[in-house]
Amino acid sequence: MECLRTCFNTIVIGGAAIFWLVVSAVVAAPFLWLQSTHRDRAVRKFVYIQSRGIVFFMRLASKGLHVEKQDRPKTSCVIVANHASALDLYTISAFGFDNIVYITKGWVFKVPFFHYVMNGAGYIDAEQTSPEEMLALCKRAVEKGCDIMFFPQGSRKDPKARFKSGAFYLAEQLNLPVVPVAITGTQKMLPAGKLSIKPAKIVLKAFPAMYPKDYPGELGHLRMAQAAKKQIMDFFDKETNS
Amino acid sequence: MITREEIIKQTNDALKKEFEFKDEQLVPTAQLRDDLGLDSLDAVDMVVVLEQKFGVTLRQGYDLRTIVTLNDLYDFIEKLARTHHK
Repeated sequence: MECLRTCFNTIVIGGAAIFWLVVSAVVAAPFLWLQSTHRDRAVRKFVYIQSRGIVFFMRLASKGLHVEKQDRPKTSCVIVANHASALDLYTISAFGFDNIVYITKGWVFKVPFFHYVMNGAGYIDAEQTSPEEMLALCKRAVEKGCDIMFFPQGSRKDPKARFKSGAFYLAEQLNLPVVPVAITGTQKMLPAGKLSIKPAKIVLKAFPAMYPKDYPGELGHLRMAQAAKKQIMDFFDKETNS
Repeated sequence: MITREEIIKQTNDALKKEFEFKDEQLVPTAQLRDDLGLDSLDAVDMVVVLEQKFGVTLRQGYDLRTIVTLNDLYDFIEKLARTHHK
């Protein structure tokens, strides 16, 4: 039964999701192109709508998709999440964050067609940007009202990998709250390096915001990274073993 | 005076605790950037952690870019500890 469901998910739901991504991009492209001002904002909104569509398809493919939300901070924030699947990128939309600047690895900017979205939305290539430039670009994005999204583990290879402290350093420098988000189940549904979509229970949980002032000292950002990882991984372990 | 073995042990303990490295990763030839994946911010954090651990100042008057491997780091701390002791 599980095998049949995996086949159905991969062929029918996976196919429908790709169809949604392509058709919505084709339909939206001329409108986005015609935007003379705030095009980056329009592209980010478009990515949000696309992502909500993917979350809908994930719900169909899952054994249940639960979202535990928190009230978002009143200001822009830095969102940090664990990362074990290509689906994680889309799941953040389930929390209603609709104006996000993603900090991603360089290869994503080289994917055909995708790079138009990446550049159009003003996403930031973490590998080609110096820490000083990153700070300046993020500051500009925050001034436009954007939230900043990081996957501090940097890769999908090890679901338990260390949280690098760059996101937390940025939050410290720009005095922004950090919202930790736990993503569980996507690593079973679509693990790194696989193409088949298995049915799995997915739980997405946002934790209360963390504030840099609560982590003083030279290593405050490192302590904040460790505290965020602990919260997320405790929840990840609990959900994964349940 | 602190011995080299103690420096290696304390450095490795600090790196394991703060950066979640495993014993097998912490070989003297391991390159901080390429093998251990420490980026520029991690390197700064590592320096602060080691300063607090050994009670020495690593950041002033030294070119930390010459530290490429863990062995370079042990040598550097040993040299500083010896100078500090004199």
